[in-house]
Amino acid sequence: MSALKRVQQWATFARIWHVYDAAWQNPFESAQVLKKYLKGMHKPIYHPMNDCGDHVIVLNSAEIALPGDEWKKRVYFHHTGYPGGASWTLAWELHNKDPTMVLRKAVYNSMKGNLQRRYTMERLHIFPDANVPKELMGNVSNQIRQVRPIPKRLDHYPEEDVTQFPKVIDYPKDYVVK
Amino acid sequence: MSNKHLFLKAGLINTPLQNGVGRYVCQLQRVVLKFCKNNGSSRGMRDFIESELVNYAKENPGVVVYLKPRRHRTAVIKAEYLNGDAQWISCRNFTQEEISKWMNLLKTQSNNNTGTRLKKLWHTDHPSIQGPWTPYTFRDPKLNLVEFPNTEWSQPADMTNTSQDDLVELFKKQKIEELNKNRAK
Repeated sequence: MSALKRVQQWATFARIWHVYDAAWQNPFESAQVLKKYLKGMHKPIYHPMNDCGDHVIVLNSAEIALPGDEWKKRVYFHHTGYPGGASWTLAWELHNKDPTMVLRKAVYNSMKGNLQRRYTMERLHIFPDANVPKELMGNVSNQIRQVRPIPKRLDHYPEEDVTQFPKVIDYPKDYVVK
Repeated sequence: MSNKHLFLKAGLINTPLQNGVGRYVCQLQRVVLKFCKNNGSSRGMRDFIESELVNYAKENPGVVVYLKPRRHRTAVIKAEYLNGDAQWISCRNFTQEEISKWMNLLKTQSNNNTGTRLKKLWHTDHPSIQGPWTPYTFRDPKLNLVEFPNTEWSQPADMTNTSQDDLVELFKKQKIEELNKNRAK
């Protein structure tokens, strides 16, 4: 292989770092997006037997949003292997213990259980907030778009916009404003 | 399901040393015709040897032709190629025409094609003119100047206006119209 071909090979199979903001995102929908980047399925050179997966940094995993009453209803099972070692943890309990765990498990469970899964998970770097080591953030060259827009709260709008907002209806005379 | 393909030699469609461009070298090196002198299953082979073999050998001086009579055995053609491949064809009860067709095939092909599994049904020495894909081909050049993480590049691509935005727009339009009316007065 000539020197040029060798460099061409490195360029084609270079691992890219992506960043994903998980604030207000459904972790199970996000997992379907993230796994494609982790496995390299977004590349035209993808083949299950070539190792072309990318790294993904996930920010703000503490601010994920589960749909419906999943925080209360979703249960994570663990068994220590000893008799009576079974334990069931609710999603909100798990999230309190480790704010990266719900998303990590969502991505892990979205992939098929084969030998590659553990190595693919190694390329996923989840942070509960936006504090990412500089040397990691320096690698990033792409941002993955969120699956749904972040809702904006009333107290996050500037004071001016709130007061200037057009008045659509008149309150009834007997309406008590809080 | 059979796993026969696992034992086949894997290869691509190719021409040895650009054969046929400028000069042609027959890739068949040696052919051995094995037959029985009195068994009925070798009948066609014997006919071929009687009537066509001498011409075949004369037309192809580069091919070594051997005859191997052996008693009470099936007729067989064994061919060896310049690349080292060997091909074995059972000619039991073949007619003379069938054998002459097989001999023609052996003469014209460049290796043992039935003993090779083609990895692909096509082959090219120049797979791409624009060069192989890299992560940076087809990339939006705007991304070069972006500082990550970036809120604008994080939003979903199909963001539409909310009804709230529409309401504010309508209100602004209405205000401008009123202003214009006042000015006209």
